Amino acid sequence: MNMIKNTRTRLGLFLAVMGPGVVTAFADNDAGGIATYAAAGAKYGYGLLFTLLISTICLAIAQEISARTGAVTGRGLSDLIRELFGVKWTFFAMIVLLIANIGTTASEFSGIATSFEIFGVSKFIAVPIMGLLVWWSVLKGSYSRIEKVFFVLCATFLSYIVSGFIINPPWEQVLLASVTPTFASDADFLMMAIGLIGTTITPWGQFYIQAAVVDKGITAKDYKYTFWDVMLGAFFTWVIAFFVIVATAATLNANNISITTVKDAAIALKPLAGQYASTLFSFGLLGASMLAAFILPLSTAYAVCEAFGFESGVSKSSKEAPVFFGVYTMTIVFGAAIAMWPGISLDLVMLASQVVNGVLLPPILIFMVLIASNGSVMGKYKNATWYNVVAWTFTVVLIILTLLLLLSTVAPAFMEFLMGLIGL
Amino acid sequence: MNEFKLLGEFYFCQLLNKPIYDKSGRNIGKICDMAVRWDGIYPQIVGIQHAKKVHELIPIDQIESCSYKEVRLKENFDREKTVTLHDTDIYISRWLLDKQIIDLKGSKIVRVNDITLSWIMQEDLQRMVLVAVDIGVRGLFRRLGLEFLFKNYKNNLLGWQYIKPLESWNSSLQLNHEKQQLSELHPADMADLIEEMDYKRRASFIDHLDDQQAIDALAEMDLEAQVEIIEQMDEQRASDLLEEMAPDEAADILVELTAEKSEGLLKLMEVDDAEDVRELMQYPEDTAGALMTTEYIAFSAELTPEDVINQLRKLAPEAETIYYLYVIDQEEHLQGVLSLRELIVASPSSTLRELMHTKLVTVQPEDDHQRVAEVINKYGLLAVPVVDEQGIILGIVTVDDILDILVPDRGKLDTYSWFALSKWGGRGR
Repeated sequence: MNMIKNTRTRLGLFLAVMGPGVVTAFADNDAGGIATYAAAGAKYGYGLLFTLLISTICLAIAQEISARTGAVTGRGLSDLIRELFGVKWTFFAMIVLLIANIGTTASEFSGIATSFEIFGVSKFIAVPIMGLLVWWSVLKGSYSRIEKVFFVLCATFLSYIVSGFIINPPWEQVLLASVTPTFASDADFLMMAIGLIGTTITPWGQFYIQAAVVDKGITAKDYKYTFWDVMLGAFFTWVIAFFVIVATAATLNANNISITTVKDAAIALKPLAGQYASTLFSFGLLGASMLAAFILPLSTAYAVCEAFGFESGVSKSSKEAPVFFGVYTMTIVFGAAIAMWPGISLDLVMLASQVVNGVLLPPILIFMVLIASNGSVMGKYKNATWYNVVAWTFTVVLIILTLLLLLSTVAPAFMEFLMGLIGL
Repeated sequence: MNEFKLLGEFYFCQLLNKPIYDKSGRNIGKICDMAVRWDGIYPQIVGIQHAKKVHELIPIDQIESCSYKEVRLKENFDREKTVTLHDTDIYISRWLLDKQIIDLKGSKIVRVNDITLSWIMQEDLQRMVLVAVDIGVRGLFRRLGLEFLFKNYKNNLLGWQYIKPLESWNSSLQLNHEKQQLSELHPADMADLIEEMDYKRRASFIDHLDDQQAIDALAEMDLEAQVEIIEQMDEQRASDLLEEMAPDEAADILVELTAEKSEGLLKLMEVDDAEDVRELMQYPEDTAGALMTTEYIAFSAELTPEDVINQLRKLAPEAETIYYLYVIDQEEHLQGVLSLRELIVASPSSTLRELMHTKLVTVQPEDDHQRVAEVINKYGLLAVPVVDEQGIILGIVTVDDILDILVPDRGKLDTYSWFALSKWGGRGR
């Protein structure tokens, strides 16, 4: 018995360090993520696989920077931003985070609404009930039991992998597309590319993984395990996203079926689940959306309180920690309200929030890279030069993409002219 | 006479970036930062940094006038008259502003939003000292230039005398607490405090506690935190603490560690204590065997209440509970039980055999916690003995051991990323 226990303990310890990266990866493939991947596959076929590969590599780098910073300093991201850049920049960073997180929360509630609509339940019933469930169960501490259910539901997205193999797409073409840069300068494509990046690398994900590393008490000494955990997490994100894109591209794009709503992404599961494809899809969507809906408001509230020095903690009363509960409640209420707005398209909320995330990501990235290359904070664990080059290049590319998107939306004619100039 | 005159009071942030003029009216720079020397209670300003990356500071006694508009110097600016930074001096803006202040007692975490300065003349010497830290919302918005929004709010100031000197530039500020004050904390409060600290502070904090304080605090924590703390602790200290802990708790912790680590700790413990713990570690998790403690009180049936009370005085400090006294024979077969109350009111000349109840409520070591809880609840017990098939008493499960399992621990959600914590730890709780 003792021996069995000890093996289990060893596995437990392994998992204990192996946590944050993989969990963040799972929560990363949320409603907005699946919606974006499906839309990308349906609309551009295998064309965006290259963008996905690049953004996954950047995800690994970004998450690694945050996790390492957390392990070395033992502090959260908003804590470090406040101490190194002062109140004004912190205020800016928190506004950015709030907007991005409220947007993402809205997309989670849209995901919840969509999955209930598949069963014919109106969003005006589903969203308030699930919103209250999230709000209440976190405050009452009964979350841990509910969480497991959604975690299992989440796993249904793995069925895209199976479906992808059953469909058996032209693998040669798929692999070729994965490594061939594809680019177009129209607003739609740019939006899709930024959305794809914005859904893999999120501002909240950076705050979250650093906090998770700190809370677990992972030190610079244990960091080597966390490094592999982060890499594994990034790989997970990529596998799911890759297969969603491949499955939707092979079923929808190849047969010229245009995708009108996110629900159509279920069609890509038909080869596996036949008539139950929609059910399977809605379960997965519900699980992923609920998981992220639990994490997001809470992590927002913690980040804001940490930055400004307000009392925080779920076990505190709302009198002891008014700002904490205020931010927490507000994020849920706003998120749910956006999803419930009469006449708003749920698909639009899901896709747009990912673009918002992508647009708001560069400021956070800049803070992160500046902190991680600061010798007096990171000591010998500061960023290597080549690492900074990659991180800065990515940040600059993302900023340029954002500017191009802005330009092509506001003045498409000028944009075409500009692209003509550089021969694209 | 220690007479001094107040020349002015300022908010540090409102002085920042204000221009500096010398006697001839020449603009020689602006207030980029100020350096302080922190050797007394109130940190004293050493000098003003007048340009970025220039560490030749303008000394305070050079100041002729100081306002939120400008600073004027008494003489013409001369590099000869500047002071250089000392090793232990700290820049306010770089290292003090925005820092976290941790209050050990209330665990309230606030930030340095602003700092108030007093400019004083003492014995013909001009000095500028840091008087208080602004931790309020008004200070926060003053930094943003939006103080007018909070005009009706009172400033929330914390006097510098309550703050401990920095351990290193990167560390958080800590409030001054006398060690004595700390020892007045209830162990459960102390446990909460420790659980909220990061691992670096935890280690130094626990080093400062004496063994008994550390054990009491540990006993109040949940298993995960206990394991983490024991793992990170120096082995010798860890084994000392485990030795003194209730064996059932020590066993719970050791089971969670790796085989080598727990074996190493057991070897460092005294043989007797280690043996008790090893026995308990054999029972599968969540059974009466794993929950029980071996520190119960048992006597022979032939003793008189007087003997027993005398022995109790010696045994009581060690035992987990003394409200039930178990009666056993030479082979440790459980024969009966009586309560402390019954013992005290009994006539001194009787024997335990006459006093004890022989209708026994017991559980088996392999019973799960559900069953133990049912028994305790049904018979309204404070503890239930665990006996094997031969009726030999192995230990007792007390009601608080059961409560720990039954009442879900809300505190666990109390960290930023609570989501990732327990579930992926794979620790089966």
